[in-house]
Amino acid sequence: MTNYILKRLGQGLLTVFLTVSTVFILIRMAPGDPAVSYAGPLASNEQLAAVREQFGLDRPVLEQYWIFLQQLFTGNLGQSYSFQAPAMQVVFERMPYTLTLATSAILLTAVVAIPLGVWMSRRPDTGKEFGVNVLTIAGQSMPDFWTGIMLLTGFAVLIPLFPASGFATWGGLVLPTVTIAILQIALISRMVRREMTNNLAAPYLTVARSRGVKNSVLTWRYAMGNSAIPVFTALGTRFAAMLNGVVVVEVVFAWPGVGSLIVRALETRDYPLIQATVLVTALLAVAVQLLIDLAYPLLDPRVRLGKAATA
Amino acid sequence: MNAATETPFREQPLLEVRDFQVELITDAGIIRAVDSVSFSIHRGETVTIIGESGSGKSTTAMGILRLLPEDLAVLSGTVLIDGVDISADPKAIDKVRGKTLALIPQDPMTALSPVHSIGSQLFEAIRIAGAASAKDKDALQARAVRLLEQVHIPTPEKQLKKYPHQLSGGMLQRVLIAIALASEPQLLVADEPTSALDVTVQGGILDLLLELQEQRGIGILMITHDLGVARLISDRIHVMKDGSFVESGEVQQIVDHPATEYTRTLLAAVPVLGPWDETPADARGAHAASGGSSATTTDPALTQTGAKP
Repeated sequence: MTNYILKRLGQGLLTVFLTVSTVFILIRMAPGDPAVSYAGPLASNEQLAAVREQFGLDRPVLEQYWIFLQQLFTGNLGQSYSFQAPAMQVVFERMPYTLTLATSAILLTAVVAIPLGVWMSRRPDTGKEFGVNVLTIAGQSMPDFWTGIMLLTGFAVLIPLFPASGFATWGGLVLPTVTIAILQIALISRMVRREMTNNLAAPYLTVARSRGVKNSVLTWRYAMGNSAIPVFTALGTRFAAMLNGVVVVEVVFAWPGVGSLIVRALETRDYPLIQATVLVTALLAVAVQLLIDLAYPLLDPRVRLGKAATA
Repeated sequence: MNAATETPFREQPLLEVRDFQVELITDAGIIRAVDSVSFSIHRGETVTIIGESGSGKSTTAMGILRLLPEDLAVLSGTVLIDGVDISADPKAIDKVRGKTLALIPQDPMTALSPVHSIGSQLFEAIRIAGAASAKDKDALQARAVRLLEQVHIPTPEKQLKKYPHQLSGGMLQRVLIAIALASEPQLLVADEPTSALDVTVQGGILDLLLELQEQRGIGILMITHDLGVARLISDRIHVMKDGSFVESGEVQQIVDHPATEYTRTLLAAVPVLGPWDETPADARGAHAASGGSSATTTDPALTQTGAKP
């Protein structure tokens, strides 16, 4: 088990390293000049050269990469150009907002999608199930910026129930959470239905039914117990993806998270800030993935106990 | 078995099936999978339905237990289980499931939930049977251990903590029989209980069923395609083909004097070597069609297994 954890940890760190290295190279290949963004369009060539020298951008790319690697091991990725503060610190200040949004979105998804999927699996081919099915396809098809703007118009402008932007009060959490959750609920509930439909038709379920096990127990203990692993994995993976910043939704709702931060960092070609954001979110995503892997043995005895010799 | 002859048939049968019919709704239209079959099983009796794959024998059993999908199978006719008419009121089946009636499934490897322990699934059956309350952990444990001992599972306390994937097919089938026995059932429906098992453990499972029947006088409905199994365990045999019984009678009469060509083909399909038939049904069909020389009712393989007269 310890070996397994160390192996997964090693793989995860390698993934993070390759990710930040790729991003380091890609942002330098992309068009745009940080010095122009920093010094403004009216700056003279001398001013631009001074800025480049200040940020170390006049050095060869390989040398810049070497400096970056040294920074990587000290955990200090340099000053953000636009915030004039350590890039890592800027990211860490934004991280709680994204964590809050991602957590509330994934909780709402789980609370709605699991019962909804179970409900659909138990009433196949009925009118109501068809209706819900159509709704989930619609939910899957609506782009989140559109959903976000519709919710903003509806519940912040026309009926001003919630604030339109920012996170000044807990009410501000509602619309961005719902916007993210609509898509996730549509995807996860259809997955729950598929898994449940398979498990409700499994031989062990028929045998359990034959010994008088009640329908509710068959559904929740047996079929859900066996559907839990893939559903949990999907929820975990989606949560990890949200930690990378729910970019579009954060921008639509002016949410002060990492998603809107990376948009700003990219716009201003703020290399240290881009690198710091990518580093932190990649680390978090790898950590969540590792936690999912570690939770498998708890959910599935076949993983926990391995293939034992036959008795 | 002997009990069957001792018990007067005047007594109410454990299972009485009259004009039972199952129609399956498929994409290709409605198929009559079971066509007006009638039979009965008394206390201590074993009645076997034998037939090839697709003959409707398993559908008959699953239909009687009302385990076919409700939206795909239309049942008609009368089924009385220990006097309870489960055909008139679909809810009546709940009164007999996990109480007077128990199922022993075809493939033990897929018949238990893989993420729940043997113990938790056995405890659940004991609770449903009302033999011990959920709160009384010691009583549950004691009852579970005794059930596993009855099906000859070694170190029962250890097995309760295990999960299905840690046990062999033969052991799992014993666990499933223990689960079935939790409620002290009167009637066991065994749907090809040995066909998924290794030849070496098949005999052990059948011996166990016979032993339990002798001890408790339960009635058994045995579904099989295997004449060796049928001959060993049955009092009466119904030969099924295309959804209806083509021949019915005492086991000896069917084996010695088959009345129909189909039964003769089934008999001919028993291989000479080895006491138990493990050949797939289609291979046996081909063997029979090629005029297998083993078409003999005095097959030593059958008598060597200790088949009863």
